[in-house]
Amino acid sequence: MDNPVIIKGNNHGITVILDPAIEYAKLREYVADKFRDSSKFLGAAPVVLGFEGRALLPEQEKELLGIITESCELRIVCLVDNDAERRQQHERTLNEKLLDLSGASGTFYKGNLRSGQALTFETSVIILGDIHPGASVTSTGNIVVLGSLQGQAFAGAGGNEKAFVFAIDMAPVMIRIADYLARSADSGRPAENSRFFGKQEKEDPKKAEESRKMQIAFLEDGQICLEPLNKRVWNDIRL
Amino acid sequence: MGEVIVITSGKGGVGKTTTTANVGTGLAKLERKVVLIDTDIGLRNLDVVMGLENRIVYNLVDVIEGNCRIKQALIKDKRYPNLYLLPSAQTRDKTAVSPEQMKKLCEDLRGEFDYILMDCPAGIEQGFQNAIAGADRALVVTTPEVSAVRDADRIIGLLEAQEMKQTHLIVNRLRTDMVKRGDMMSSDDVVEILAIELIGVVPDDENIVISTNQGEPLAGNDTMAGRAYMNICHRIIGEDVPYLDLNAKKGIFEKIFGKR
Repeated sequence: MDNPVIIKGNNHGITVILDPAIEYAKLREYVADKFRDSSKFLGAAPVVLGFEGRALLPEQEKELLGIITESCELRIVCLVDNDAERRQQHERTLNEKLLDLSGASGTFYKGNLRSGQALTFETSVIILGDIHPGASVTSTGNIVVLGSLQGQAFAGAGGNEKAFVFAIDMAPVMIRIADYLARSADSGRPAENSRFFGKQEKEDPKKAEESRKMQIAFLEDGQICLEPLNKRVWNDIRL
Repeated sequence: MGEVIVITSGKGGVGKTTTTANVGTGLAKLERKVVLIDTDIGLRNLDVVMGLENRIVYNLVDVIEGNCRIKQALIKDKRYPNLYLLPSAQTRDKTAVSPEQMKKLCEDLRGEFDYILMDCPAGIEQGFQNAIAGADRALVVTTPEVSAVRDADRIIGLLEAQEMKQTHLIVNRLRTDMVKRGDMMSSDDVVEILAIELIGVVPDDENIVISTNQGEPLAGNDTMAGRAYMNICHRIIGEDVPYLDLNAKKGIFEKIFGKR
C-alpha cells in the first residue's frame, strides 16, 4: 500500500482505511499526521467514523480515536464497525434521526442572498427574499423560497430523498436533492435572458408576471422533477 | 461632521474613478468642501483623470506612515477652491495600508471636509477592505452588463455583511438606443436584479472620454453625462431631483431631419 492511511468520505461521515502490513506503533503516527494535514479540509463537522482494512483491538481502536480527535476539529458522533449489517443498521438509525430533525422543524431566514453568499441549515428553511445567481442555500430538509431562486439550492443534504425545493419564481442555476443533481439548460440564463431581454414581455407586465414560474422540485425515480404546484404534487409530497 | 462615501463596483472598468472625479467636482461646484482619496495603491489614476498628476509630492502611504502631515499631501484643485485630492502611491501595493489606518485617516479628515470620497480599487481583496473601512455610505457603480451586475451583487452582499449604513446604485454607460431595441438591460432591470436604491443613471457619452483625456471632469457642464453627474450630486446632498430624460439627446432639428 503506498498510503498507509486513507481517508474516504461517505454520506454520513468518513471511513479510515488502514494498512494491515505495518506496525501498529508506526500506524499511530501516520494516522496523526494524516488527520493533522487534512484538518482544515475536514472542518468541524459531526461525523460517523469507521475503520477498515485492518483488525484492531478494542484498546487500539480507542487510542486511534483519541489521536484523531486531538489531531483535527472533527466531532466524532459514533464509531461504526466493519460489520456490514450492523453498519447499515447504524446508518438507518442516524438517517431517521436526521430526517426527523430536518423534516419536522424549520428556520425562517429574511433577506436576499447575494452572489458569493452561502447559507447552510440543519433544518428545513423558509427564505423570505431572493437567492441571486452565484448564491447558494443548503439544507438537510426542505427549502422554500418566497421569492426568486436564481442561484443554487441543495435540499436533503443528509441524504433525505423526500426533500423538496419550492420557489415562487423558480429559475435556479442548479438544484440538488440528496445525491441527485439537476442544472439549468445550457441555452442562456432564463432569469437574465428571457426576463430582461425579452421586449414583448416588458411591454406587457402581466405577461412578465406569468413568466415567473411558481414551481416545486422533488425527486422521482432518481430524477429531479420541476412541476407547477397542483393537487397531485401535494399528494406526493411527504414530510 | 463630514460624510465618508466609498465609490466601488467589484468589476473593473465600469467607471469608479470617472464617477469619483465627477461626483467630487460636482459637490465642489455645489460649494461643499470635498476631498477625493485614491485608495488604489499601486495603480493610481484618479490624479490623471483630475489633471493633477504633475503636482503630486506626497501620497496616501506617506500620510499613513507619518512621512508627512495630511495637509502636505493634499493637492488643491486650482479650478475649485474647495476641492482636494489625496493621491495614491504608485510604488507600493495594497498591503502598505490597513483598514484600521484608513478608518483613522477618515476620522481625521471628517472635521475638515463635508465629503470624503474614496475611490475603491476593483476586486474584493485588501484594497476593497481598506476603502470601505471608514465609509458611512457606498455608491455601487455598474454598467448594464450581466458580468458587471453579477460582481455588483457580490459587492453589495459584502457591504451588507460589513453593515454599511447606506448603499446606493449608479448605472453607468447606459445606451438608450440599445435598451429600446431590447439588447441592453434598462436601469429598471438592473435595479430589479440588485434590489437596492438607485441614485443616478449616467448615459454612455463620448464626452467622458474627452474629459478624461483632458483631465477635466465634466460634472455640471452641458453634456448628458455632465448633467447626470450633477443630478447625482444633488441627490447626495439630499435634494430630490427628477431623473433625466435620456432620450432627449437630439435637438428638435435633428429629430425631424436627423434620422430618417
